[in-house]
Amino acid sequence: MSYGLALIYGVLKIINLANAGILMLGAYMTWWMWDAFHLDPLLAPLIVIPLFFVFGVVMERLIVRRVLDQEPIVSLLLLFGVWLILQNVAYVIWTGDTRAIETPFVDATVKLGAMQLSWARIYVFCAGGITLAGLQLFLTRTHLGRAIRAVAQDREAAKLTGVDVERVNAVAFGIGIALAAFAGSLLSLLFSFNPDFGGTLQLKSFCVVVLGGLDSFVGVAFGAVALSLAEAFGLRYMAASLQNLISFVVLVVVLIAFPKGIAGLLRSMRRG
Amino acid sequence: MAKLIGSLIVLALAAVVPLVAPHAEYVLGLLFLVFLYGTMATSWNILGGFAGQVSFGHAAFLGIGAYTTAILAGLGWPLWATLPVAGALAALFSLLIGVPTFRLRGPYFAIATIGVGEATRLIALNWSSLTGGASGLTLATTPPLIVQYYLALALCAVSVAIAARIKVSRFGYALAAIRSDPDAAETLGVDTTFTKTQALVVSAFMLGVAGSVYAMHYLFISPDSAFGFKTSISLVIMPIVGGIGTIAGPLLGAAIFTVLREQLEAYFPYLDLLAFGVILCAIVLFEPKGLLGLFDRLVKRRG
Repeated sequence: MSYGLALIYGVLKIINLANAGILMLGAYMTWWMWDAFHLDPLLAPLIVIPLFFVFGVVMERLIVRRVLDQEPIVSLLLLFGVWLILQNVAYVIWTGDTRAIETPFVDATVKLGAMQLSWARIYVFCAGGITLAGLQLFLTRTHLGRAIRAVAQDREAAKLTGVDVERVNAVAFGIGIALAAFAGSLLSLLFSFNPDFGGTLQLKSFCVVVLGGLDSFVGVAFGAVALSLAEAFGLRYMAASLQNLISFVVLVVVLIAFPKGIAGLLRSMRRG
Repeated sequence: MAKLIGSLIVLALAAVVPLVAPHAEYVLGLLFLVFLYGTMATSWNILGGFAGQVSFGHAAFLGIGAYTTAILAGLGWPLWATLPVAGALAALFSLLIGVPTFRLRGPYFAIATIGVGEATRLIALNWSSLTGGASGLTLATTPPLIVQYYLALALCAVSVAIAARIKVSRFGYALAAIRSDPDAAETLGVDTTFTKTQALVVSAFMLGVAGSVYAMHYLFISPDSAFGFKTSISLVIMPIVGGIGTIAGPLLGAAIFTVLREQLEAYFPYLDLLAFGVILCAIVLFEPKGLLGLFDRLVKRRG
């Protein structure tokens, strides 16, 4: 999810507040296909990812494109409106009841030495890792991936060298949305969810992205690790209910202390 | 001048409603909410509209005001005496928030305020000895509806007067300069951080007082109602729908918001926020100046 956010921000220079809504929809799609068609939740991403990629591209074409040239706050508000719509459509369709996916696989656990790990967690961890590796390969090795990075660095220059910027925008937005939905689909295996699902995670992923530096992909991975460590350590010293507080505090502190994130900090240290 | 006379007429009409219909409790209650939300939207607009600093965490100030009144009332203070304290504490807290967050710009500031709003809600939820935790606080007594009505009306009138005064003052021009270009404003000698902080403090003070009245009306407050993200959202939506950065816009937005919400919430829960999401998107896409802008355009086309 954080990657989706970073990709969209890096390329389009807008902050996608609707990501939480997409995450939640991804989770619901997975649940719904399992509930109605008995589709194995592990296979759900095969449908969820292409579907939301198309959704993202259409969304970019129809509405996001109109506000790209305006002040950043305009797109922020617009996508915030989209989030409100998605969230409340979900309330209307699926009600506010908490849902959970329960298959034998989801509940199965495996013993690794002294640790009891659930298969679902291992699966999610691996799927996340593979996705990141795949994204990295895509961004560095393919023509389209390089075009995306070029636009992220300098839109005008990319245009001059013959990159179809509009197409890149749409594709990047689509990938970002697809990643968010994929994350939602994975998370639905681990947690129960309702239409508010994603709100807290959204802030956390903002935190991760900001921590890592808003347009650096390696930084984002660092940010994710740093935040989970901070949360794990924080838990030892304070009540579990205050856990979410940690990410907000980290978010605000990081935004203020080094707005360019860890990557930016490293860069400036190297220079200095 | 015409505007001043117009607003005085509206004010006078609003003031006689309870005299004409003292028993129409539904109408009075609805109007009370319009005034209260109007105050809140106007306060948000001073920072969000005049200075262009969109905050998604303004519920924090409302919550602090509401909790101040509830806690002090629990200690035996008379309700009216808690009003200024609620405003002062909210303003003090805003100083604490403003100093670090105003080093951020535009969207970064907006994200940081989401964090601030959520953080204060979590603190209210967990600091049980002071706030009663998730079970909230209850007020023992409440002024009669008619007193609440005039209180909210007065508050609304004062906040609108303050906002209108600010808009045409040196301070207001400085805020407008910050909105259109912070760098240029700084070059021209506007101390942007100080000016934004001033706007935030004024805004927070008025919201704190509004929070106090909010507590008196609902009698029961909890972290989710007073500090809720939903409250912060409404504070953003109302001015934008009505017309961001204007005087009448937030009031118009508040009136539409309150009436629509009251109507929709009873029959179709969740549909209210859905409707506002759609309206928000439509306004941002087609009429960034809000309903007032739309109105102006229609008038121009006629004339």
